[in-house]
Parts: sequence; structure tokens; C-alpha cells
Amino acid sequence: MTIEAEHICKSYDGQEVLHDFNLSIQSESCTLLIGRSGCGKTTFLRILLGLDKPDSGKIQLLGDYKYAYLCAGVVFQENRLCEQFSAVDNVAMVHKKITRQTARRELQRLLPDEVLDRRVGELSGGQKRRVAIVRACAVPADLLVLDEPFTGLDAQNRQKAIDYIMEKKGSNPLLLTAHEADGLDFCRKVSIV
Amino acid sequence: MKKKALVVLVWLCIWQLLAMIVHNDILLVGPAETVRALAVLLPENEFRISLMASFIRIVGGFLTGSVLGMLSAFLAYRKPLFGAFLSPLVTMLKTVPVVSFVILVMIWAGSERLSFLISMMVVFPILYLNTLHGFQSADRKLLEMAQVYHMPAWDRFHYIFFPSVYPFLLSGFRLALGMSWKSGVAAEVIGQPLHSIGNGLYRAKIYLATSEVLAWTIVIVILSWGFEKCFLRLFGFLDPSAGCGKKEAADDN
Repeated sequence: MTIEAEHICKSYDGQEVLHDFNLSIQSESCTLLIGRSGCGKTTFLRILLGLDKPDSGKIQLLGDYKYAYLCAGVVFQENRLCEQFSAVDNVAMVHKKITRQTARRELQRLLPDEVLDRRVGELSGGQKRRVAIVRACAVPADLLVLDEPFTGLDAQNRQKAIDYIMEKKGSNPLLLTAHEADGLDFCRKVSIV
Repeated sequence: MKKKALVVLVWLCIWQLLAMIVHNDILLVGPAETVRALAVLLPENEFRISLMASFIRIVGGFLTGSVLGMLSAFLAYRKPLFGAFLSPLVTMLKTVPVVSFVILVMIWAGSERLSFLISMMVVFPILYLNTLHGFQSADRKLLEMAQVYHMPAWDRFHYIFFPSVYPFLLSGFRLALGMSWKSGVAAEVIGQPLHSIGNGLYRAKIYLATSEVLAWTIVIVILSWGFEKCFLRLFGFLDPSAGCGKKEAADDN
């Protein structure tokens, strides 16, 4: 599968955020969008995921893609977890194929056992972030979209998360955004200005 | 618990003291006289039938109004045009005095179903508005997450909408439970249906039997309080945060 973003333009309140932005995402590729805050990284991801419409330009799914929409595992800029439910619930809730057992097993890769049944609202920022990463990677998807996924993670947990993501992504493309490329040398870097 | 009992005891003493000061059985009787009147009423068949009939009518109205209010709110959230269509009706139900409705309903439907309909009309706007606010305050970002992950409708409701609606429903039910009893009994007093608490209260008033009026009132308070406690206890089982921390669910077995 190939995803082509062609001539994407987007403005908010008259202020242009994306201007004629082009990107090609190939199977198995790892793409890192780099840019200063407010340069349009998240805006592009929102357009890619169908949450926003571009003012002009288009996103095309090429190849023999069988769905009308993009099946993506997503880490949003904010965690977007249901805070009243446990980490296991949060991972299991997004797809009927993810049983609670599977969710638990996946979470154990990045989180200690004792926090898995705790309400997510009671977890630390870093723990919540890891729940969001596991949720994105556990869901059957054709693309991983990670918006600044390592925010709030220390160096050790960041590396563990990177290893986990690379293992789970398989042959699917990975698109992520970050302020800095530390530890992400395996990615093709695309700057948004 | 001890503190509560002490407070009740103090108020009973104040009541008894006031009754002794007034010293007029028509104006005010003390708790002892009231209990005596209640003891006379309790064995009467008519009394028990009246309690049962009023309970069924008022609780029936409360439950029907609640269900209609919640369903209408859901539809209004899904279809804003339906919400706009309902808006004048809800405003009218909220602002028009209950007594006007009592008279209108008596003309339209007679006094038999009066307390059921009035209780329902009082409860409907409370539950409608609370449920609608609950739906509207659901976290937009979580809804986007659900959209991206193509979460099924039931899961969206269970994990995103219900936790948002639950506190609004709880406060709505707390308010509506009391209101349904007050308005239902008031409607019965005006409408005088046979076999009703309102009818019993009215007859006690005609005979200036203040002790009997207070006995009926105590029974109303007990019924209303008991039903509120039971209902809120049952509703508490639906608290979305209560199930957190459970071990593996049945689907893993």
C-alpha cells in the first residue's frame, strides 16, 4: 500500500498552516515529520486520518487497499484515553479482536503489572503515554501514525517504546512526528516549514 | 448514624414542644398524636390500597418520564432538528405552573391518570435536559479517537458517552425523584381520584383532622425517601467507574 498526499493546503482562521505539502508513504517505510511547534505536523496527520479536510489537495490510498477508509493505529498528541477505565479496558475497547488477555499481554511489554487494572486517570503521564502507544500498536492496522509519541518518557522507556513499535509495525508503514530525531535514525526525515 | 438519630430526636422534641405551646389539635398536633393517627390508619384496607395505587401511579409516571426524557435527549443529540422541535415543549413544561397542567389534564384525561401524567410531565424535562447536557459534554477528543479506530456504536456509548452522561443523570434523578412525588401528590389532592394519597389527605383536611394529615404526610415522605434510596442504589450499580480494576472478564475464559 502507498499513501500519497498531494498538494495539501490548509488554513485556520485565514492563517495558512500547510502550503502545497506533498508526501509519499510506502509500505514498510518509516517517515519522521520534523518541524517547529505549530508548523502543521498535527494538521497533516488529522487530514491523513480524515479528521479534517484539506482546503485543497488530496490524500490517495494506492495499490490493492481493500477498505474505503484508512485502518490506522494512532497515538494522538494528547493521550485520549478513557480515564475512568483501566489500561486493559483502554486497549481492549478499540477493536473487537483485542481480547482483555491480549491487551494485558501487550501492556505488560511496556508497563508494570500492578498498574494494568488501575484507572488510567490514576497513572502518571509517562504510563498513560505508554498505554496510548500499546493501544495504537495492538489494533490491527495498515498504518501506524504516532504524533510525538515519546512525550513524557525517559530515555530508557523511550528506547523500550521504540523497540516495541518497530516490532509491532511489521511491514506496515510508520509515520511519526517529533521535535527531535534522537534515536529515530532509522526514519526518513521530512521537514515541514 | 448516632448523630443523625440525635438530630431527628431533637427535631421531634421541638415539634412536640411547639404542639404543646400551640395547644390546639386543629392547628398543630405533636408526634405522639401523629403516630396514634397513623396506627389507626394502618390497618385500614382503604389506606393500604390508596398507598399502593398512588405509588404505582407516581413511580410509573417517574419511570415513563425518565425513559422518554432520556430517549428524546439521545434523539435530540443525534438529530439537532428534533432537539429544536422539542425545545418549545420542554421550555413550556419547565415554566408553566404544575397546577395549570393539573387542570388541563383533568379536563383531557380525567382524574384517574392525573398523578401518573403530572409526575411524567414534571420528570420529562429534567431528565431530557440533563441527559442532553451529558451527551453534549462528551469529550470531543475521545470521540475523534473512536472515529479513527472505528469503534462500534455500543462501545462508543459504553466507554465515552455513558461516563459523560452518568453524573448528569444522577443529579437529574435526584431532583426528579423528589419532584415527581411532590407534584404527583399535589395533583391527586386537586384531582381527587379514588384510592389515592391525595384523596386521603383531602378528606383529612375537610374533617380538620390535622393528625391524620400529618400521618399521611409522614407516609408520603417515607415512600418517597425509600423509593429514592432504592432507585439510586440500583442506579449506582451502573456507575462506569465502579467496574474498574476487575480481573479478566468472561470473554477471556
